[in-house]
Amino acid sequence: MKKINYFLAALLGLSFSFASAQTPKGSVLIKNATVLTVTKGTLQNTDVLVQDGIIKKVGTNLSAPSGVQTVDATGKYLMPGIIDAHSHVGLDVVNEATSPITSEVQMKDVVNPTEVGIYRALAGGVTISHAMHGSANVIGGQNATLKHRWGTKNPNDIIMMDAPRTIKFALGENPTRVHGRGNGIQPSSRMGVEAVIRNGFNEAIQYKKAWADYNSASAQKGNTATAPKYSERFQTLVDILDGKIIIHCHSYRADEIYMLINVARDFNITKLVFQHTNEGFKVAPEIAKYTMGASVFADWWAYKFEVYYSTAFNAAILNANDAITSINSDSAELIRHLYHEAAKTQRYGGMTDDEALAMITINPARQLGISELVGSIEEGKQADLVIFDTHPLSVYTVPQMTFVDGVKYFDIKEDKNDQRLSVSPTEMVEDIYLRQQTERCMQDTEHLFDMAGNLFNQN
Amino acid sequence: MKRLTKTFFAFLIALVPMMAMAQIDGEFIKPRTGKFLLKNATVVTITKGVLTNTSVLVADGMIMEIGASIAANGAEEIDCTGLFIYPGMIDSGTQLGLAEVSSVAETVDFSEVGNFTPNMQALTAVNPNSEAIPVTRVSGVTTVLTVPSGGLFPGTAALINLNGYTPDQMYAGFKAVVMTFPNSGRRGRYDRRSDDDIKKANEKSLKDANEIWENAIAYNSMKKTGAALEFYPEMDQLAKVISKELPLLVQVDAASDIQNALKWLEEKDVNVILSGVAEGWRVADEIAKSGYPVITGPVQELPTRESDRYDTPYTNAGKMAKAGVKVAIRTDEIENVRNLPFHAAYAAAYGLGKEEAWKAVTINPAEIFGVADKYGSVEKGKVANLIVATGDPFETRAQVIHVFIDGYRIPLSNRHIRLYQEFLERSPGLESK
Amino acid sequence: MKRTLFKASVICMILGSWMISSSTFAQSDPTGKKRITSSFAITNATVFTEPGKAGVKSTILIQDGVIAGVGNNLSIPKEAKLIAGDSLFVYAGFIDGASNAGITKPKDLERPENFVSSDPPDEIAGITPSRSAVDQFAMDSKVEELRKGGFTVLQIVPEGGMIAGKAAIMVLGNETSSNLIMENTALTVSFKGSRGMYPGTAAGVMAKFRDVYKNAELTKINSDKYASVPGVKRPDIDDTFMGMKDVISKSTPVMFSASSELEIRRVLKLQKELGFNLILTDLENYEGVIPEMKAAGVKVLIKAEVPDDKAIKAQKKDATEDVKAQYIRVKESFDKAIAQAGKLEAAGIPFSFTTVGVKAGDIGKSLKTMIDGGLSETGALAALTTNPAAMMGMSRELGTIEKGKMANLVLTTDTLFKEDTQIKHVIADGYLFDYETKAKKKATEDGDATDAVKIAGNWDYTTESPAGSGGGVITIKKDSNEYSGTISYDDPGGSGKLTTPIKDVKLDGSSLSFAFDVNAQGMSIVVEISGTIDGNSMDGTMSIGQFGSFPFEATLAPTLNAKL
Repeated sequence: MKKINYFLAALLGLSFSFASAQTPKGSVLIKNATVLTVTKGTLQNTDVLVQDGIIKKVGTNLSAPSGVQTVDATGKYLMPGIIDAHSHVGLDVVNEATSPITSEVQMKDVVNPTEVGIYRALAGGVTISHAMHGSANVIGGQNATLKHRWGTKNPNDIIMMDAPRTIKFALGENPTRVHGRGNGIQPSSRMGVEAVIRNGFNEAIQYKKAWADYNSASAQKGNTATAPKYSERFQTLVDILDGKIIIHCHSYRADEIYMLINVARDFNITKLVFQHTNEGFKVAPEIAKYTMGASVFADWWAYKFEVYYSTAFNAAILNANDAITSINSDSAELIRHLYHEAAKTQRYGGMTDDEALAMITINPARQLGISELVGSIEEGKQADLVIFDTHPLSVYTVPQMTFVDGVKYFDIKEDKNDQRLSVSPTEMVEDIYLRQQTERCMQDTEHLFDMAGNLFNQN
Repeated sequence: MKRLTKTFFAFLIALVPMMAMAQIDGEFIKPRTGKFLLKNATVVTITKGVLTNTSVLVADGMIMEIGASIAANGAEEIDCTGLFIYPGMIDSGTQLGLAEVSSVAETVDFSEVGNFTPNMQALTAVNPNSEAIPVTRVSGVTTVLTVPSGGLFPGTAALINLNGYTPDQMYAGFKAVVMTFPNSGRRGRYDRRSDDDIKKANEKSLKDANEIWENAIAYNSMKKTGAALEFYPEMDQLAKVISKELPLLVQVDAASDIQNALKWLEEKDVNVILSGVAEGWRVADEIAKSGYPVITGPVQELPTRESDRYDTPYTNAGKMAKAGVKVAIRTDEIENVRNLPFHAAYAAAYGLGKEEAWKAVTINPAEIFGVADKYGSVEKGKVANLIVATGDPFETRAQVIHVFIDGYRIPLSNRHIRLYQEFLERSPGLESK
Repeated sequence: MKRTLFKASVICMILGSWMISSSTFAQSDPTGKKRITSSFAITNATVFTEPGKAGVKSTILIQDGVIAGVGNNLSIPKEAKLIAGDSLFVYAGFIDGASNAGITKPKDLERPENFVSSDPPDEIAGITPSRSAVDQFAMDSKVEELRKGGFTVLQIVPEGGMIAGKAAIMVLGNETSSNLIMENTALTVSFKGSRGMYPGTAAGVMAKFRDVYKNAELTKINSDKYASVPGVKRPDIDDTFMGMKDVISKSTPVMFSASSELEIRRVLKLQKELGFNLILTDLENYEGVIPEMKAAGVKVLIKAEVPDDKAIKAQKKDATEDVKAQYIRVKESFDKAIAQAGKLEAAGIPFSFTTVGVKAGDIGKSLKTMIDGGLSETGALAALTTNPAAMMGMSRELGTIEKGKMANLVLTTDTLFKEDTQIKHVIADGYLFDYETKAKKKATEDGDATDAVKIAGNWDYTTESPAGSGGGVITIKKDSNEYSGTISYDDPGGSGKLTTPIKDVKLDGSSLSFAFDVNAQGMSIVVEISGTIDGNSMDGTMSIGQFGSFPFEATLAPTLNAKL
């Protein structure tokens, strides 16, 4: 088991253990690879030295300090760990679909580090995923940025503590279907979606004022002020208005994207990223000017009406218009080959290698507010790295090893087949899942739909 | 803006072949038949090796000639120097044309009411004008098997070329009656039935299947003697399987179900094609022994079990081929059938090998469907289903720049491309407020 | 429910008006059910006064529901009913840390006209901290099952939504008493969402719980201000606040249901944020969080259940390699599961049991499995007695057999965790309850034969002798400790079968022997049959006097009730 690996590694002096309060940090020397830095060009026959989880040196003829393992990467390619800006892997709950605004709900509360999907993502080179609330609500819950430190049962070990707060918004068919048609509450139309957001922000402004008034009044001698009701929900909206939280908004149609851009401008919100945004290309100049860009599918379309008029050239058009563009999966299946999804931008739009690779590394890092820490191979950044046997943008490439904070969590040659962290003691026959449900944005809302199959089927 | 200009020019260059077709701004380019000479390419025949500096002559919908130097004789000449000619790819399992927007039930036509409906014809329900068809064929997939799904015998699948304005124009000469073999797996993460319920449902399905089959055999024998039988369209269709007029396409995935299916089919004298076969690698030797060909996929799919190795679906095809099974690859997609080359590439990279992977999307399905005299390779006398690409069409970097289906030169445009053309540099652009 | 208590209280009042002290006035009781005395003396029993202490032959004197004395040379009052304890073993009555026996789920409240599912009233959303388990409780067969299993005190927990209400401690005494020891002993909370309204999932429940808690704290601040400063706006006091008041003041603990490691971690996270006193309950998978629970100093209730071993038993020997690999993992997981209680003990975390969701009849077996897995018998007994008493703050009254404590006792036929031990008497609140025990099975020489072999029923037998093969039916009946029956055999004198009674039936472990007489041509021969029984089949020999021994086989015909 992985535990044995840790034990051996401890013997070898690579001290790491999840028992300690700190997360494991490793040291390793990767030699003689073609290093795709993404931000500083491609370096041939180059070494990368990692110490205590940080990229210490990128250069040639580096030697390993004592106790540090060397990995011979001759003929292989090294790139930064892949970042998936839209995922639901590792969450026990995806949608608290009972109210159109649930900003008080936190995905950090329901992280499940034992989901085998995390390991499978590692096997596809993904080191960080943005574990998001689902798209059932207009203003959903706060998301969790996860580092794929596989093998622990403690959720805190995989939550990236130094990542900024983000929150999920959703526009269009999903929230109107869940609340308007499913429950008879606003919104049931795109008009209602805008109203819910504006109302929420305006109420938050009143909430902020009520508390500010109370705080100053109660400091006075002999005051008779009573505290207003406390609401984590509105406090979170206040935090958004104060620029403390990045909005990631699930959206498809050009008009609703444009609507939210205007709402954001009205409330002075600049930390806004659009997710999926299949029609983002139709308002690419606006997205580029007023937001932190778009995180899109490579080629999903037509499974709902709002994505019927999309194009696989979406990422290329957004990128060409200078919007920060990333490619995401929103799927436990796609997350395993995001490098292939990014490569599709070379077929649909002729992106260069660095442009395509940026879409799964530095660009999503910027959208998650962690680009100072990860997203490229530069000295000083966290050592999230992936080794491929051939160029990552070739369709035939096979990931070989994946490192998070310098610790190797995936090795195609050494890893066991069965990676489950725990097994039920009463399991007689293992469950077999046929044609797995891959899009999980609407998980936990099935009870509202009789034709649930249609909504979820990606075929 | 530098990026924009660079991409814009790259895009213009990509449009050059279309410009060569004398495009007038706004004119709609139609599929054209005629005589075409594809000059001086590397021809990957699939069955007869790779030929360099070779030309291919297309006329009357057929591959007329393959050779080093062929006289044009009035054919439209297309210079393919530095390019690669492959046979059009065949996707052995899709619902292409049978659904438009999955979440809008009115547009979904691959499933009908009833457990026993083999007489439902996929072919006639195909929408030849589905938006997904032009989206698909620019990737080099020229032919697909479109398959009904749902109950025990959901309908009759049909092989179609992705060109034509009526289903009959698209029909590529093969049909099969589909059987969804009773399965013991869960339908997805949301299937929360208990183990007992699943087992019971499985047993009931098998019981139904046995009853229906017995009746079908009896029906078929009576029919052969000319007996006066009551109108029973479902039995009529199934009788065609029993009389071996049509093969039986058996959808089955879990290992124990595959074993059950092999046993069930053993004494039955029908032509069988297995489809799905997600856990085929677990029982590869038994499948090989049965001699049944296998259509498997999607390759880019999650493992069926939590305890499975992460790359199990990628390695599935390769393991079965190694055991001696004839393998074809499918996407089981509706609107993203265009990803077939990538599914095949994954199977190739994870054990199947490039050569076998190419066969799995060309000659293998052609042979399995009994149409290898017409499709599946670049050979003289076959139907002109050809693609011309800048490189290996499995690679994302490669561009497919010419597609021929049934000898028609297909315009490489679809809504995705048109939207790209309209919005790459939007006019008006950003309004300055 | 309430009506029963009412009736009981009416009777009590009527009776009470006659009885001020239990022994002063006599009453007539035409049913004959009233006990003749409230004094008992259990003489010369092996008494285990507390976990870890060896059993000592002593006498226990009980008066008015209190242990009046423990030891030898006690002066026994004349009104004490004597219970001969010579063959009995006595332990302190078991305490159930959380039980829903006797609890009836309250009817769902009707939704108001202006109901909005995204913002429902607290009572409809399952937030009912003011409710009390006492209002939902009535003695029923489930309670009696628990008492039969040795439980004398239950902490009953209410049924409801995410914040169901307050627990209460009941003693399982006589029906005529309210049996209430203490109310509002804990606030029961779980991750249960409400159907079709907010909050619906565990994530929503966690957010809502924080909201309820923090707003209760604010209301307290506002209330205090209102009480002390004139001119302040009147605070909005509602049922939710009334129920949360003593929780935010930390005087009432929160009993949070969390069965898996992840859930336990989530509860500990909330506890760290909000600061309430915490009892974790319903624990099933918890080994990985033992260090965290220890560090947080929380009280722990584990489910009195172990996973069933059906899966382990169903493992086939001829499986393929990868299936075998699965088997190993399942077995490992099973072994770890039953070893957990022992690990808790080793970590020094005092824990008790909860029987919510557990069948009372299985508890003994589950505890024995935990002991097999590493829990010490002392630890198991502590979890049933002293630990829950301490958790409830009632160590003065409960948990051990000492003078002055409540008269709650379990009297068994053998030491507590032995295979055949049965509970003969339970004394709760000083009331005596008797239970039927089965006769002890004879232990065999090699010490096994735990489950007595079934021989009663109809056996089809066959024999082979030089005369040919024969056969017939043996019918065996059991009458208390004796076996008798008949055997049919081919009539040596002709056709058909004769039936004759069997004698000298001896069952020794799985070896059965008996004899019968055959009369033929004026002669009487004794035929002896002996054999080994394995499940439904018997294999042995038939000896016919001096004529020799011949093979004998028999199969037990299936019957609907195979009673011993």
